[in-house]
Amino acid sequence: MNTPFGGVWIVFRRELATVRRTPGYAVLAVGLLVVLGGLVAVGGGGATGFVPAVVDLLLPTEVLVPLLAVVLGYRALFADAASGELAVIRTYPVSAAAYVSGVLLARTVALVALVGGPFALVGAYVWLTAAPDTGIFATHAGVDSPILFVRFVALVVPFGAAYLALSAAVSTIATSRRSAVALGVLALLVGVLGGDLVVLRSLSAGAAPGGIGGALALSPNGAFRGLVFEHVIGVAFAPEGGFVDTGRAVASLVGWTAVGVVAAVASVAFGPRVDVGVERLRERLRR
Amino acid sequence: MSEHAAATVDGVARAYGGVPVLDGVSLSVETGVTAVVGPNGSGKSTLLGVLAGAVEPTDGGVEYADSDSRTGSEKRVGYLPQRVPFRDGFTARETLGFYAALADGDPDAALADVGLGDAADKRVEDLSGGMRRLLGIAQATLGDPDVVVLDEPTSGLDPEMRERAFRAAASAGDDAAVVVSSHDLDLVDAHADAVVVLRRGRVAASGPRDRLLDDHGVDDVEGLYRAVAGGSGDRPTADDRGDADGEASEESVHVTGVSDR
Repeated sequence: MNTPFGGVWIVFRRELATVRRTPGYAVLAVGLLVVLGGLVAVGGGGATGFVPAVVDLLLPTEVLVPLLAVVLGYRALFADAASGELAVIRTYPVSAAAYVSGVLLARTVALVALVGGPFALVGAYVWLTAAPDTGIFATHAGVDSPILFVRFVALVVPFGAAYLALSAAVSTIATSRRSAVALGVLALLVGVLGGDLVVLRSLSAGAAPGGIGGALALSPNGAFRGLVFEHVIGVAFAPEGGFVDTGRAVASLVGWTAVGVVAAVASVAFGPRVDVGVERLRERLRR
Repeated sequence: MSEHAAATVDGVARAYGGVPVLDGVSLSVETGVTAVVGPNGSGKSTLLGVLAGAVEPTDGGVEYADSDSRTGSEKRVGYLPQRVPFRDGFTARETLGFYAALADGDPDAALADVGLGDAADKRVEDLSGGMRRLLGIAQATLGDPDVVVLDEPTSGLDPEMRERAFRAAASAGDDAAVVVSSHDLDLVDAHADAVVVLRRGRVAASGPRDRLLDDHGVDDVEGLYRAVAGGSGDRPTADDRGDADGEASEESVHVTGVSDR
């Protein structure tokens, strides 16, 4: 291994093999498929077209995708630290950044497969069961199209990646499997509900409604929802757009992912020093 | 730092939750086997963790002889923690293959060196405790590090496996400074070139085994242990040998949740 990228690749392959050999993740994907398929079938969107299906799936997606991402992420970095294997890995010439990158890249690939697979199958179901004009590739507003569903799935990936990176980062401060689960659930709740609650609170405090678009884009869920309205649902029904600032929403999803990755790298690289700093402070206070 | 030292520990201290576990520990390790012995809670695992870079000291530090000559892409220290940490679901060859890829080593040769060539395709969870430790020793020696740190590699093993694990550790000491903690004083007696006796987080005695035995007028390491580490209350018990997480002896300093780190 001669380059930092070599370390990323080696860690990536091991992590992907770990995910592949964990049957529970495949069960989760099947569960996601059942839920999504059931919602589309029961909601009637599947029989109507891709955009109605997206409307049916949007709210469940905002909960289920973060949930699956947190399940994938909450032990991603914690497992090696808890077992002591991270201490062994750190004796090898692989940096904290390369290690975290390898782990998170592999988990992101797993996320794409575990989330993308069920959504693709649901899309195929809609294609087969919906009205005849869903085969049209939309270039004009008001026309349903599989392209719009592909866009929706493409937006799901960075949305899930943000939660994956954040839950992995949070897991690095866990001291037990139970606390890792608790921190993961906390990250999920804060992410799914926190942004909307903050927006509602600011509105009730007298903030201008015109600023909702900008404020909404700050949370992962708000950014994802805004992008779906702007580039999937709104394409067919509201050509003028204006649901969310696209640049700000994309920057939000990328930013949350980056925050998760940087926090995870910092925690793996400098966590032990923080512990020592606390001990030194405790020693000084005792004197 | 002495001329032949592969690593020098200088004034290392470490506390957990305000309780000192190591206090002003200084010593050098040279090529060959250095055994670290002492009662439960005396700081052996923490000292070995500091040597391996897995534990950050609150004071002092470790200097390695090759810190200038080795490049950042080479493995400097090999480390096997007290609890063998490998992931389930991977075979012995796959496990070592991961580490070998990081250190440009040969997993099959490393497995053969510790006598696990025939178990290469067994999954880690299917290996016996002894075989897992041998796998851990193989991992620690991958990449030919100058310092190999093995924390209680014989803990919980039957006599034959203890001997095998210690022999594997000792053979690594032909080319590297192998630092091994153990309660198996007979094996330490048979294989160690140097001994460090820890007591209550401090070095009670350290140096070449033969010199220490002469200095203290004893015949073997167990005699040295009795003379230096304290009375019978500090001697390793059968429980210590079979269970590294066993209760501390009356005189030892045992901090719950800390001594195993």
